Amino acid sequence: MAKSVISEARDIKLATDLIQLGARLQVLESETKLSREKLLRLYKEVQGKSPPKGMLPFSTDWFMTWQPNIHSSLFMSIYSYIDKSMELEQIQVIVRAYRLYREHARTHGMDEILSITRAWRLVKFFDAGMLTTTPCVGCGGHFVVHTYELTDSYTCGLCNVPSRAGKTKRRALEPVAAA
Amino acid sequence: MKQDQMLDEIREANLSYLLLAQRMIREDRAQAMFRLGIGEQVADIVGSLSMAQVIKIASTNLLMCSFRFGEEMVWGLLTSHSKDAEISRMHAALLMAGAPAAEAVVA
Repeated sequence: MAKSVISEARDIKLATDLIQLGARLQVLESETKLSREKLLRLYKEVQGKSPPKGMLPFSTDWFMTWQPNIHSSLFMSIYSYIDKSMELEQIQVIVRAYRLYREHARTHGMDEILSITRAWRLVKFFDAGMLTTTPCVGCGGHFVVHTYELTDSYTCGLCNVPSRAGKTKRRALEPVAAA
Repeated sequence: MKQDQMLDEIREANLSYLLLAQRMIREDRAQAMFRLGIGEQVADIVGSLSMAQVIKIASTNLLMCSFRFGEEMVWGLLTSHSKDAEISRMHAALLMAGAPAAEAVVA
C-alpha cells in the first residue's frame, strides 16, 4: 500500500493538535488515516499517558441542559463564523473554533464545559440533522436546539436564566467574593 | 497643537492596528478573521499589503478600526455590573460571534 508521506505528515500534525486539545482516541481515528498503534504512541508522547478508554458520549440531550447549551452555542457561533468565511476542512474549522472558545473560557476564568470531543460530536450531530440552531426572540443570538423541536418563539437560557443556573457544587464550596 | 497630536495618535493607532492584523492573518487566517470580524477578501487584502502600503493607509485622519458592534444590548452586557458577570460576558461573546463579517464589496 503506497501511502503518501505528505498526507501522513499532515495527519500527524492534525492528530497532535487534537491530542493537545484533549481529544479522545475515537476522534483521532475518525479524522486521520493513521493506524491505531501509531495514534496510541503519539498520544502517549504528547500527553505523557495512555488515552482514556470507554465509549464516547452519544446523546444529544447533554447539549440541551443549561450550561452545556450556552457553551455549545458559543462554540457553534464561532464555528459557523469561520465556516461561512472561508474554505477549510471541517476538522480544521473545529480545531480553530475550539481554540477560540477555550480562549474565551480561560480569559474569563470559566470552566471549559465543552470538551473538544463533545465539540466534535456536536458538529457531527449538526451534519446528521439532529441538532440545529435557532435565534432567540429576546437577544437574536443563535442557540443549539433539537431539530424537530418547536422553536417559533424560542427564548435562550441567557435571556431567561433559571434560578439554579450556575449554582454548582464547586461554586458552593468557593469562598464568597467580596461584593 | 492639540489637533496635530490627535492626528499623530490616529496614525499610530492605525499603524499598530494594521500591523497586528497582518501578523494575526499570517499566523492563522481563520482565527484572525474571527478575531478581527472580517471576511476572506478583506483578510486577503490586509494580509498582502506591503509595508509602504500599510504606512500610506495609516497616514490618514480617519481611524481604520471601527467599533465591533452597534447593538445597545452588547454594550449593556459588557458594561453591566450584575453579580453574574460570567453570564453577561458569555452572552456578549455569543452575540458578537454571531455578527456578520466585514466584507469587501466588489463594484
